[in-house]
Amino acid sequence: MWFFRSPEIVFGEDSLSYVSSLEIRKAALITDRNLLGTDLPEQVRRALPQGAESIVIGDISEEPPLSEMTAHLDQIRKFEPDWFVGVGGGSVMDTAKILFCLYERPDLSVYDITPLVKLGLRKKCRLLAVPTTSGTGSECTWAAVLSIEGEHRKHELASPEILPDCAILDPALVTTLPLEQTRNTASDALAHTVEAYGSAWRNPFSDAFAEKSMELVSQNIMGVIKDSGNVELRNRVHMGASMAGLAFSNSQIGLVHALGHAFGARFKTPHGKAVALFLPHVVEFNYDACPERYDKLNRIVPAEYRGVRLSDSLENILKAMGQARSGKEAGIGESEFLSNLDSLVSMASESTGMVTNPKDSGSADLRNLFVQAYEAEAS
Amino acid sequence: MVKFPSEEWVKEYMAKLNSNAVYEDAAKNWEGAMTFVVHKDAAFDRDAFIYLDLYHGKCRDARFSLTESDFPVPEYKYSGPYTNWRRLINKEIDPIQGLLTGKFKLQGSMMKVMRFTKAAKEMVNTTAMVQTEF
Repeated sequence: MWFFRSPEIVFGEDSLSYVSSLEIRKAALITDRNLLGTDLPEQVRRALPQGAESIVIGDISEEPPLSEMTAHLDQIRKFEPDWFVGVGGGSVMDTAKILFCLYERPDLSVYDITPLVKLGLRKKCRLLAVPTTSGTGSECTWAAVLSIEGEHRKHELASPEILPDCAILDPALVTTLPLEQTRNTASDALAHTVEAYGSAWRNPFSDAFAEKSMELVSQNIMGVIKDSGNVELRNRVHMGASMAGLAFSNSQIGLVHALGHAFGARFKTPHGKAVALFLPHVVEFNYDACPERYDKLNRIVPAEYRGVRLSDSLENILKAMGQARSGKEAGIGESEFLSNLDSLVSMASESTGMVTNPKDSGSADLRNLFVQAYEAEAS
Repeated sequence: MVKFPSEEWVKEYMAKLNSNAVYEDAAKNWEGAMTFVVHKDAAFDRDAFIYLDLYHGKCRDARFSLTESDFPVPEYKYSGPYTNWRRLINKEIDPIQGLLTGKFKLQGSMMKVMRFTKAAKEMVNTTAMVQTEF
């Protein structure tokens, strides 16, 4: 017995207009500081049903700590929204999920957001996700990542009840995504695909989405990097990234995210850049646990980037995307890395990805993978 | 072969857990007792309790009783009907998926336990190392 969970997904050009058909009276729009200077939040606000009231919470930073996520909770409670609308990337989506939960259940702690606690949400409001990046998949997942000030740790929260009710995948909202974010979020999508496909909890539903997401992302991302305003290519990568989100949300992450979360939390490396460092190394580590599956994914990779093994192909794609290929190349000093290695191993070992990775691993394996990814020589 | 649940099974389980290096590594920072609760069902006619005192990757004490009040209050309880325990020990149910699908229940601080999922899984995997009869 297992589940497949998904929001209602509206995709393709003009899909933002669907928002006007939702029964929204009062919307709390959650967005980030960078987007606040663009027209995107306003586009979403204009798409709300006629007469709908709204407030905009727009000072969310990248990977915000809990105190920043919840700074406006009192203001939101006074406003009494019937919908939360996340407009942005993964950090905004995760913030919207957490605010949605704490608004509905002020008696709960964020740490109650686990699949083992009945939250009893949706008594007062619902959750709409409008991603403006293509990669985190958060609009389609029941996971949220939480940082706590001073902890240098990312907490992995998850509950089926924080899965958005509706996700809008409008390619017009991602055509202006800067190159660095395009690269990082696409790397994250590739990691989701590969982790979902190898997961110990994989299933036919997650497999189907992982296979299609590998096709859509790997076969179109280079086109997007070369021609960032190409709406059709953006649309394919955008859908592929959400499919990767559906894939891992319904089968779980693995060691790439266990290592990436630890590394990102410690060195403030953007999430997509961090997971890209580990992806080929973890695939190589896992290979003997699921060779047929990795070989099958590898056959989907475009011929010009395809290597003998999936790990080679991923390395080729990430390198061609211009992604940093080692911790050194990502700008982390050797002494800084080595002095943090023990805590990196400790943090990674506490990730839920440890139990769903296709191959069992212990502290020594994690240490080796950290060192490999840090010292990798660009070929 | 030892019968599940019983004092003999618990002692055998404790020995297996204490020789499991994977568990020791995953639970090296864990402090706290756990009780396995076996609820009666059509295949087993009474509740049974297994108390485990767990500390830094080792099991310091393990006891069996048919009366829960024989033990100190544990930090966690992992409970399910006897038939699901049999399926778990036979590796027909994944311990974490068992929780997510309602076949087992976990009581205790979620914040702490979510950082030790690998240790929890290995604890359950160790049950399969005991030559068990039902």
